[in-house]
Amino acid sequence: MSTEVADTTNLSEKKDFLVRSSSLKDVRSFSREVFEKFKINEDLREELVLAIAEAAQNIVKHAYKDYPDTQDRMAVRISCTEKELEISFFDKGKPVEKSKVKHRAIDDVKPGGLGTFFIQEIMDSIKFKEGDKPWINNLVLTKKL
Amino acid sequence: MKYKVTESENVSTVFLDGEIDMDVADNVREVVFPLIDSGKEVHLNLKGVQYMDSSGISVIVESNQRAKEKNTKVELKEVSQPVEKVLAMARKFL
Repeated sequence: MSTEVADTTNLSEKKDFLVRSSSLKDVRSFSREVFEKFKINEDLREELVLAIAEAAQNIVKHAYKDYPDTQDRMAVRISCTEKELEISFFDKGKPVEKSKVKHRAIDDVKPGGLGTFFIQEIMDSIKFKEGDKPWINNLVLTKKL
Repeated sequence: MKYKVTESENVSTVFLDGEIDMDVADNVREVVFPLIDSGKEVHLNLKGVQYMDSSGISVIVESNQRAKEKNTKVELKEVSQPVEKVLAMARKFL
């Protein structure tokens, strides 16, 4: 885990993980650790952890759908100012087709669709960007504090 | 994720423990689906589940659908507070 800026008004932590479902618990551990360090409201922490884990899960499930044994890594960066939390995800998987990113009816029982719904419920904004090299995708989630 | 199964005459109870995510969802299916397929009522005790994501919710939804097809039912028991919060969010989706 690396601290990019470490003062009290602008904090940022970044860590990378192997793109695997077995990494999701490590993503959650990293997130909990950072939120504790950033002193994020305890009521909000687990909701944010869920949103982060769902976004990481979407990378594993969708961006790397055809590459379950990839050795690629994805990165998660959590940045915090007094007013806003910004969570960025970086991966080198299949480019995201924005038009296809939507939740489905629950009867479809597709976890990815419900996961996207959870992210939308928890976060204030969701933006998909092209990643700067070497990254392909860059998802940015924000939450007002 | 750990689990324990207890059996009574007409009910199988699965006590789940730990965190249920995409990585362990198939393990839960492997435990729960055969019990449903046997035709018994299945209770999922979630007292020990500290975290559940959309994959865990999907297992519950699939279990309910499977139970209907087998003319039996699945009930959630002693749902922990973290899981209840996620279920409440998922219900908005219904």
